[in-house]
Amino acid sequence: MDITISDNWLREYLQTKATPKQISEYLSLCGPSIEKVEEKDGDILYHVEITTNRIDCVGVYGFAREAAAILPRFKIPAKLKKLNPNNKINKIDNLPFSVVSDESIVYRTLGVVLTNFKNRKTPDWMQKRLLACGVRSLNAIVDITNYVMLETGHPCHAFDYDKIKYKKFFIRLSKKGEKVTSFDEKTYELTGGDIVFDDGDGEIIDLPGIIGTKNSVVGPETKRVLLFIDNNNPTRIRGTSMKYTIRTMAASINEKGVDPDLGKSALLRGIELYQKVCRAEVASAIYDDYPKPAAVKTVITSKAFIEKILGVDIAKDDITKILTSLEFSPVWKAETLSVHVPSFRARDIEIPEDIVEEIARVYGYFNLPSRLMEGKLPDPLYKSPFSLEWKIKNIIKALGGTEVYTLSLVPNNYLDAEKALSLKNPIGPESKYLRSDLVHSLVTALKENKGDYESLFMFELANVYLQTVGDLPEEKLLLGMCFDGYKYVQVKGILETLLNDQLNIPVSFEKDPPSEKINISSAKTPIGYLTERDDGIIVSEIDSQALQKLYRPLRSFVSIPKHPPQIEDLTLNVPAGVEIAKIMQSIKSASNLVSDIGLSGTYKNSFTFRVTYQNPEKTLTDDEVAGQRNKIRRVLKEKYSLEFK
Amino acid sequence: MREELNNLKNNALAQIIDAKNEDVLEELRITYLGRNGNINELTKEFKNLNDEEKKEMGILLNETKKTIEEAISSKLSEFKKEKSNAWFDYTIPGKKYNLGHIHLISQTIEEISNVFEKIGFVRVRYPEVEWDWYAFGALNFPVDHPARDEWETFFIDTKPHPKFGAMLLTPHTSSGQVREMQRVKTPPIRMINIAKCYRRQSDVSHYPMFHQFEGLVVDEGINITHLKGTLDYFAKSVFGQTVKTRIRPYHFQFTEPSFEVDFSCTICGGKGCKLCKEGWLEVGGSGMVHPNVLKAGGIDAKRYSGFAFGWGVERILMMKPGLNIPDLRQLYSTDVRYLKQF
Repeated sequence: MDITISDNWLREYLQTKATPKQISEYLSLCGPSIEKVEEKDGDILYHVEITTNRIDCVGVYGFAREAAAILPRFKIPAKLKKLNPNNKINKIDNLPFSVVSDESIVYRTLGVVLTNFKNRKTPDWMQKRLLACGVRSLNAIVDITNYVMLETGHPCHAFDYDKIKYKKFFIRLSKKGEKVTSFDEKTYELTGGDIVFDDGDGEIIDLPGIIGTKNSVVGPETKRVLLFIDNNNPTRIRGTSMKYTIRTMAASINEKGVDPDLGKSALLRGIELYQKVCRAEVASAIYDDYPKPAAVKTVITSKAFIEKILGVDIAKDDITKILTSLEFSPVWKAETLSVHVPSFRARDIEIPEDIVEEIARVYGYFNLPSRLMEGKLPDPLYKSPFSLEWKIKNIIKALGGTEVYTLSLVPNNYLDAEKALSLKNPIGPESKYLRSDLVHSLVTALKENKGDYESLFMFELANVYLQTVGDLPEEKLLLGMCFDGYKYVQVKGILETLLNDQLNIPVSFEKDPPSEKINISSAKTPIGYLTERDDGIIVSEIDSQALQKLYRPLRSFVSIPKHPPQIEDLTLNVPAGVEIAKIMQSIKSASNLVSDIGLSGTYKNSFTFRVTYQNPEKTLTDDEVAGQRNKIRRVLKEKYSLEFK
Repeated sequence: MREELNNLKNNALAQIIDAKNEDVLEELRITYLGRNGNINELTKEFKNLNDEEKKEMGILLNETKKTIEEAISSKLSEFKKEKSNAWFDYTIPGKKYNLGHIHLISQTIEEISNVFEKIGFVRVRYPEVEWDWYAFGALNFPVDHPARDEWETFFIDTKPHPKFGAMLLTPHTSSGQVREMQRVKTPPIRMINIAKCYRRQSDVSHYPMFHQFEGLVVDEGINITHLKGTLDYFAKSVFGQTVKTRIRPYHFQFTEPSFEVDFSCTICGGKGCKLCKEGWLEVGGSGMVHPNVLKAGGIDAKRYSGFAFGWGVERILMMKPGLNIPDLRQLYSTDVRYLKQF
């Protein structure tokens, strides 16, 4: 939660010679983080981030309390001026007021009636401070309630006393369908379970801890004011505030659990201000119902435990000093430490580790040394996939591929929306579904680049998400590739180089009728596919897990022949409908001296094959080569009716 | 034969002198000196000679061969000399070789992983689609706690699990902590979990998907000094020996104590600039693992303690001086003019 603290307001409670820069720097090292220090209208404003567990620092007083504990650690004297408003009240009347409460949802209620408001204009100094904290100034009566909240950290509210029918609040939970209109004219239909004040006849006259209602709000015609403080169940407050999106400062503070013990001081401070600023007078007794004051909490720890977490020795004296400065009461019994936790930290401090945090942060994390672990190392991960993934990326880079990261969330036309997982709260329809393939995203990425290239090869190694009944989806890691401006032979060559040559995974390409997909298979099992789309873009996806399983880092060594091979080119005209792979296979098997065959050139349907003849025992003569050539010629003639050119 | 050899020699020399270029010269070499060349052809006729003549012709043949070889050789040198005197423009732009590109995010992940692996961390990658229990429940977040707000989570439209709660896209790699504890079972644990995370951030300067790396160390006697040591080691490995680190108080449900981690600004060196806060850059959060989290992972909190940290991969990348990427969303651009710069 981000708040603003005024420096000159702060110094009403903090006696110190520290400069704003020092306050900002030292508090940030040991306590609440000051994000920015701003000079404004002759005052200095601290922009502070309050974490959810430190709502005790949200008011000027709580912030001053932290500063008074921290600054002396940096050799800067600082003293906290206690919040001690005058509690001797002269009341001029005995107006009735009471509350019928529910202690399971509201922990404390305090109220007092004031009359004779001789001034309703908010003085400049108060307006300035409210504005600096981002709070609008309305009139003195309402402004003082906000001022008390910002100063003490406990929200409070002013009611028009004459609008309270029976001068009683009946506290209950809302029922479904009940309606309430806030003071800023917004009407909400409640779903039930919200803490509300009933006037006794079923009408809701407040949404406590969150926002005031129109039917009880203070206005220019108000003669008598009920100043009221309620301390509520934080979970209910949060629920109501989030449900109807009423995010007032009061709600943001109350949902984090304010110390009920603070209520009395806050009320008395409010009375003080009404008397001072409005010259108003107290017209009732102070109503205070606090049925179950929290018992003093004690956490037990030890010097040994503290040192175990800190990693350094720390003197008992220092521990005592630090905890005392934070208003904790440490009691030593030999090396065991019992710590009484102050009420304003009761929600945050539960376990010994919490006590250690208090000591460590004020001791100064910057005072601790830096050491690396010395102990035993953990076992490595069985079959770790990462180094092969990196290797694959580098091979693809060498083959001209550009890696891209596309969003895992896609629109419904990228997949079968019935089968795919979708988000309950997407940002928009374009990113509602968890993708089940990479190709759609890659093709979109490719097309976004139209015109910037002659040929483009993009790739991505990412998960697709396949729904599994009753469990988390299968996260399948795929290697997706797409090519534009590439011919089929080029793409096939890239894949063959990657798989056959670099990863030592022998693959074959098999058509998968009736689809246009060409399967990439290892030992007849498909591990991926490629397809040429109508728009000329070629796409491919390969299962990364299959690559992990089939990858071989080393090939079996082939000894180098002692004798030179004979190499010659044979050209054939191959008509459409005859697969080249079959011709090459036939040539290879026609003669057992053909050690290799490649395609060295094509022109229209003329194909030139480079044939390598090798006898491991000797150098073949021209006649012997001719003999093998004839075998090939015979096979080609018989099987395919083809002749060399 | 003597006459034939002589004629051969003279023809060869004449042609060699006339040769216009190296290709022609090579053709001549094959013609005269090749396997099926003129000289070798002549050797076939040796069988018609007697021993005396064979010896004589043998010597003459070798001499002829040598003469032709030398002529070819010297003509080659002539060509070379011409070349070196000819105009050779060394300023000509070099041929372009188009390698592909590995994304900066992948490069950064690899770099981060290598740093931690050097000090014994085991790299893992835990699910992107997770149960509420692993992402929040086991990490000590009560149901409907305000602390959950900051994580702005995406929820999957599907039935919740009776034990593990709602299905969601994990907003942080911390969801891997309890999974790792369940995997390893008995410390020592040194985990570096690097994976995709998702947050439903409505403002323009954020991308809903990003990468985090989560470190978790659990063992006997682990304390705050080890956390400091580890992040100091990381900072110096990635940003150089002069970088400084510090930890400040913060709050996370799953750590106690919790810390905010800063590195001295890598852009201005700590002097102060518009990117940093008085010379410090916020890197991310960390803390000592909360005993409830150890318990959720089945680890004996009385015997073992640990620390954890979770930071953005993109954050580390943006902190690298000299990179000059104006904002994080650019990293997820699919524009190839941008990707080709990596």
